[in-house]
Amino acid sequence: MRKRICILAVSVLVVLMASLLLSGCSHTVGTASARKQAASTGPDWGTLTVEKELPLQYATQFTVTEYEDGYALIDITDSGRYLVVPEGMAVPSGLDKDIVVLYQPLDRIYLAATSAMDLFRAIGGVGSILLSGEDADGWYIDEAKQALEDGSMLFAGKYSAPDYELIYSEGCNLAIESTMIYHTPEVKEQLEKLGVPVLVECSSYEGDPLGRMEWLKLYGVLLGKEELAEELFDQEVAAVNDILGQTGTGKTVAFFYITTTGTVNVRKSSDYVTKMIEMAGGEYVFSNLEDDGNALSTVNMSMEAFYDGAKNADVLIYNSAIDGELHTVDELLAKSPLLADFKAVKSGDVWCTGKNLFQEPMGLGKLIADMHTILTEDEPDSGELNYLHRLTNGGT
Amino acid sequence: MQKKENRRYCIGFAGLALALCVLLVGNLNAGSVNLSVGEICRILFEKTGENAAIVWDIRLPRIVAVVLLGGALSVSGFLLQTFFANPIAGPFILGISSGAKLIVSLTLIGFLGRGMSIGSVALIIAAFLGSMMSMGFVLLISNRIKRMSMLIISGVMIGYICSAVTDFVVTFAEDSNIVNLHNWSLGSFSGMTWDNVGVMSTVVIAALALAFLLSKPISAYQLGEVYAQNMGVNIRMFRAALILLSSVLSACVTAFAGPISFVGVAVPHLIRSIFKTAKPIIMTPACFLGGSVFCLFCDLIARTVFSPTELSISSVTAVFGAPVVIIIMVRRQKHNQ
Repeated sequence: MRKRICILAVSVLVVLMASLLLSGCSHTVGTASARKQAASTGPDWGTLTVEKELPLQYATQFTVTEYEDGYALIDITDSGRYLVVPEGMAVPSGLDKDIVVLYQPLDRIYLAATSAMDLFRAIGGVGSILLSGEDADGWYIDEAKQALEDGSMLFAGKYSAPDYELIYSEGCNLAIESTMIYHTPEVKEQLEKLGVPVLVECSSYEGDPLGRMEWLKLYGVLLGKEELAEELFDQEVAAVNDILGQTGTGKTVAFFYITTTGTVNVRKSSDYVTKMIEMAGGEYVFSNLEDDGNALSTVNMSMEAFYDGAKNADVLIYNSAIDGELHTVDELLAKSPLLADFKAVKSGDVWCTGKNLFQEPMGLGKLIADMHTILTEDEPDSGELNYLHRLTNGGT
Repeated sequence: MQKKENRRYCIGFAGLALALCVLLVGNLNAGSVNLSVGEICRILFEKTGENAAIVWDIRLPRIVAVVLLGGALSVSGFLLQTFFANPIAGPFILGISSGAKLIVSLTLIGFLGRGMSIGSVALIIAAFLGSMMSMGFVLLISNRIKRMSMLIISGVMIGYICSAVTDFVVTFAEDSNIVNLHNWSLGSFSGMTWDNVGVMSTVVIAALALAFLLSKPISAYQLGEVYAQNMGVNIRMFRAALILLSSVLSACVTAFAGPISFVGVAVPHLIRSIFKTAKPIIMTPACFLGGSVFCLFCDLIARTVFSPTELSISSVTAVFGAPVVIIIMVRRQKHNQ
């Protein structure tokens, strides 16, 4: 009897697993590919004439080649090539297999790369984003927050665990991910299997802050708003051009935050924030923190090393992105009383970034201007500053 | 007496099979997109339609993976609890998850830190290699140590060493690597594909079959090492086989879903209290079914309660698994008194 029970139990298991596996493995995704537009009958890819290369001044991580009839080929370093096909046009025949086809209008985007939202906002493209990788509380950008609250944009799960069902059922036609997706490659692969093209935006790899902002042009190409994007970018660059032309102030600056373990997170010399300090006329105190060939942009150092390097810095800027905003010097000293010895603390030249800064790459020009203001003016008017505020000497 | 036992086994298996069926239907029916039972049935049979990919490419591979991996983890825990005669022995007590985390962290930081992208297969292989590396050390030590308690301590120490090396590596890692390593270490069944299922089913079914074939030597071993030796069991080979099988099962789980806590510890206890037996010929299939049911239940909660945000599977398994172990222990203690 017992033997029979065991045989029965094992048989049930084997049958159950075998039926599930066989039925599953025999299935091929027909629906995802069916969602794509019909097979190409468009012009021959090899014969399409290049009209121009999108002019880029600072960005080095992507290029855009514009072809006749409105086709545009985006090439993102280490991410891939994407062909933007204008609405109503067919996919060119003979396209290289690695090129991902994006069909305009791209109006059902899943945006998991938070820094791109500000660039979409700048060109009036928030309405093209249907699905967000952040919920309303995670956004500092009012338009995104509002869209999520009124339901015109839906929260579709964070980048590492997206809601595949929602993304698929909403007919998402493009997922824009940050380089964080490289840590969870299975997510990218699954989205692609479901027929959702994935574009990895690598603006975080841009060494020049204005290069990050220049990704605006790429989103302009995706939404068919190239001219507006170029115009806006030129305006932003013009606003900082005066500052870029000036000689250095000779003032030293430390940009940092104190981690929960008591170490100090500072930028390496190759980081874009370091470059912004230099563009604003300052000298970064940790310019000796060389890039060692990897993509790291920050480093955690001991308080002793920070004390040694930044004690005599003329200006301290506290990075609130991770740790939250500070408003008073007492709040800063609560993190480390040692900072009371610092020259900048004694002179009152301690500033803090706004938490919205890292969601707003369009504001990088304004941040450079802010840095320039605090380096050149003794008592800058707080109304002049967009992303920095001085820590006051009052209690918490 | 024998009849009573048999009836209990029948009821136990029937109950588990019923729970499995109910949860299979529940998991298949639950998700962000509302699909009626009729539509799901139609999609299952016809494999076509607007939402076919949701059922066939999102829900089903995940459900099958949960069934396989949940069952594998539970059987792995049962084998180790039997082998060590220790109620808290679980698949990760031998440092399997720590070893996997170490190699995954080295892979993430080594490749991505240099701007090189990797595929999911690389992470799966890294996790599997890490798990088996820890197991290899335990196997080496098991040849020199006879006492089970010492072997468990050795496993724990290997786990500590791996964790220490991981922490060392993390010290020099970028924040994004640390965040993602943390996410990985919480475990998730999200994003399973049929390709994943194909590989994991081969490993799990082969290991399960071998574990089932070991039922007789395990039974003998439960009565004592000397008794088993007298029954002709080669203890040295048996030890190695049991550790190897258990490790392969849990390494497979870690590779595909990350470390999942408490299933390997809680489910064998639960099954033992239902079936009131420790006989491997009953416990092995029962633990597999129990692990599948438990994980299907936990995964249903993980992906639906705060949808579209998904809870880590380990958070849910721990919440439901830990009280189960405590209740069973207290009851057993009372019963013994």
